[in-house]
Amino acid sequence: MRRISFGVALALAVLVAVGVAAAFAPWLVPDATAQDLMTGITGPGPGHPLGTDDLGRDVLQLLVAGARTAVPGALAVAAGSMLIGNLAGLAAGYHGGWVDALAMRWADLMFSLPALLVAIVVAGVLGGGYGLAIAVLVVLFAPGDTRVVRGAVLEQRHRPYVEAALLKNLSSWRIMTRHIWPNIAPVSLASAFLNFAYALVSLSSLSFLGLGVPAGSPDWGRTLADNRTQLLANPWAVIAPGLAVIATAAALNVVGDWLHERVERRGRAH
Amino acid sequence: MIRVDGLTVRQPATGRTLLSGVSFEAGPGESVAIVGESGSGKSLTVRALLGLLPSGLEAGGEVHVAGRRVDDDPRALRRMRGGTVSLLMQDPFTLLNPLRRAGRQIADGLPRGADAAAEVPRLLAEVGLPADVAGRYPFQLSGGMRQRVGLAAALAAAPRVLVADEPTTALDATTQREVLALIRRVQRERDMTFLLITHDLRLAFSMCERVIVMYAGRVMEMAGAAELRREQRHPYTRALLAAEPPADRRLAVIPSVPGSVPAHDAVAGGCGFADRCAYATPECRAGVPELRAEPGSGRLSACVRAAGLPAAPPPPPGVTAPARPAAEPVLTVRDLRKTYPGGARPALGGVGLTVAPGEIVAVVGESGSGKTTLARCVTGLERPDSGSITLGGLDCSDYAAMDRRAVRLARRTAQMIFQDPYSTLNPARTVGATLKEALAADGRPQDVGALLELVGLDPALARLRPANLSGGQRQRVAIARAVAGEPALLVCDEPVSALDVSVQAQILTLLAGLRERLSMGMLFITHDLAVVRQLADRLYVLRAGECVESGAVDAVLDAPAHPYTRELLASVPDGTGGWPH
Repeated sequence: MRRISFGVALALAVLVAVGVAAAFAPWLVPDATAQDLMTGITGPGPGHPLGTDDLGRDVLQLLVAGARTAVPGALAVAAGSMLIGNLAGLAAGYHGGWVDALAMRWADLMFSLPALLVAIVVAGVLGGGYGLAIAVLVVLFAPGDTRVVRGAVLEQRHRPYVEAALLKNLSSWRIMTRHIWPNIAPVSLASAFLNFAYALVSLSSLSFLGLGVPAGSPDWGRTLADNRTQLLANPWAVIAPGLAVIATAAALNVVGDWLHERVERRGRAH
Repeated sequence: MIRVDGLTVRQPATGRTLLSGVSFEAGPGESVAIVGESGSGKSLTVRALLGLLPSGLEAGGEVHVAGRRVDDDPRALRRMRGGTVSLLMQDPFTLLNPLRRAGRQIADGLPRGADAAAEVPRLLAEVGLPADVAGRYPFQLSGGMRQRVGLAAALAAAPRVLVADEPTTALDATTQREVLALIRRVQRERDMTFLLITHDLRLAFSMCERVIVMYAGRVMEMAGAAELRREQRHPYTRALLAAEPPADRRLAVIPSVPGSVPAHDAVAGGCGFADRCAYATPECRAGVPELRAEPGSGRLSACVRAAGLPAAPPPPPGVTAPARPAAEPVLTVRDLRKTYPGGARPALGGVGLTVAPGEIVAVVGESGSGKTTLARCVTGLERPDSGSITLGGLDCSDYAAMDRRAVRLARRTAQMIFQDPYSTLNPARTVGATLKEALAADGRPQDVGALLELVGLDPALARLRPANLSGGQRQRVAIARAVAGEPALLVCDEPVSALDVSVQAQILTLLAGLRERLSMGMLFITHDLAVVRQLADRLYVLRAGECVESGAVDAVLDAPAHPYTRELLASVPDGTGGWPH
């Protein structure tokens, strides 16, 4: 086992903590949304390490509960765009011709649209909602994956091992999935990690604008939005969810890079 | 001029030693060749000498250049490089900066204050190039011209030592001969000390006065080129020389060395070659044999039995190729034409040939001759513009127009093996998975073990991925994949040109054996006439998409009719001081 650097260890620890929070929030903090209007907003103190918001909810508990809405949404966006991107990218890179042209023009079109603005417009017209926000982000993120995968496929397409598979009369689907895909998976995975981080920020932004989760829900973006008027009464109610978004996104990037490097090195091992 | 004393190269991160105990000298004006296969440490030796080791590697020992110790002084090293010592790199296609004109890249090497406008044309003339090359970009120059520009740039600083690392390996045979002749002429005229790194022992004999043979990170033998050519005092040198097949006669058996080059550390306790050596005794494995001088001569050998080695057997006599009965051809190609989009001239300008069952037909030519295009058209990887291809009675002129059944039949009739052993196998899949799939595709029982044994590999290798195999092992797996369904025709595209000589002979022997066992016809694409002489029954010589000569191998190579065939034959190193002329 190769030693890992401090930065990677720290990033892994952040992700594990966020993952545990997302998975077990209902058991860890069952009363996160319980209001205590008598207490109201307070700064950090005994019993409330990060203080409370204006409804008297514990900010730390909200933060833990918020992971449960923030993380799965971002995960769904990353996984969804990875799936679409891989299918479209493999088809475009492998078959070329009109399939390639179609996929690339579609990608160009999507790239020319500002992602967050489109999400805001669509959510505004259709009435918003968490599921819709995720669906819109998947459609907007997939072209990026498609391009990355297509490029990687083009690099592999004319390697002798692919041509040997062709000469064995294997089906295109089998060559794409069993032969080419395992060799481009590291690239696709790195792209998915980046998307995960972007989606986390984008979903939080949408929630901040009131277009994601409903008001009052424990979500990092939402909590940040709800409490921004209370910045002076308890700054932590605003800073903590913001930090959670930044720290998770940064940790995802670090871990993504690290995984990519490891996979690459394994491929080159002698 | 150069003195290397007890050179060691280590990788501190893993604790591995890659090279140890390398000592040699090269006097002023002397030419010395360092010869070895991949993994022998020949390139590491010169890189350590120049202070150019890849990061993560550390050199030990002493290096003196022009009487000064340089290994412990980075500033002396920097002054030495591009001043006293110049390096000529291997790959002419990457050694020049693609965005800068040739003249400026040569001028970069001139000493400060030199007049570039006068010096650059003079240097170009010295390497046999017209002065207007200075204004051209690398992409406007051929491989041979680029290597000449590289040489001019290396000569710009008027070095006293020229180091060349496989300077012509990437070039075509005829170009290689011209460039080597040029390097030797320039070296003699300027009276430079010359250090040549090569894998080719015969080339070393022709180019240099003294030869150092390396293996597994150690020096095995060191002697004058003429003496060493006459008699080798180390079994490895003998094996290396024997494994390089001659072009002038066919041998009954191609001598090959079993196994492959071990890592330096794997053989740290004894002689590195002992496991592959026919003369090995227990004494050979008891300790690392020292490089000892032979009494009465200047030569050194690291063989414990150097003095008592039996005399080298005389070179085996040539045999004539066995005659094959005429048979209905498995492959017939007629008037095949192909021009790539944007190509200035046709890659194939009407080529025809036949291959009979069990017959090995070689297609010989240099890069751009169309030989690879021909192979790819036959297997359907490329679509010819016109002409016909008949495979086992099936019209395969246009794979796109054939129905699925016909394509499957064609794929089972003709299979292909490729040049590069590193990309021929899918790095993500185990050997077992690759071969199982091949057997299933060809409708055969899935006996991977038997298939591995057929190509001389241990069935236990099935669990490994290509990254854990040597180049020779990978090429064997690729051959196993191709012959899984016992095809009637095997198309081989330069299958041994990327392999070490000792491994190359093993693969050629394997292919010759498979041809007999499976009575398989072969279309053998190569640039190497020595390989053709050993393996093929008939040959076609291709030049710029046209077939210039064809016939039985012995007939054509003994009495070539076309000047181009004669030129190709003359570019095979013969090991004498007269070559290259």
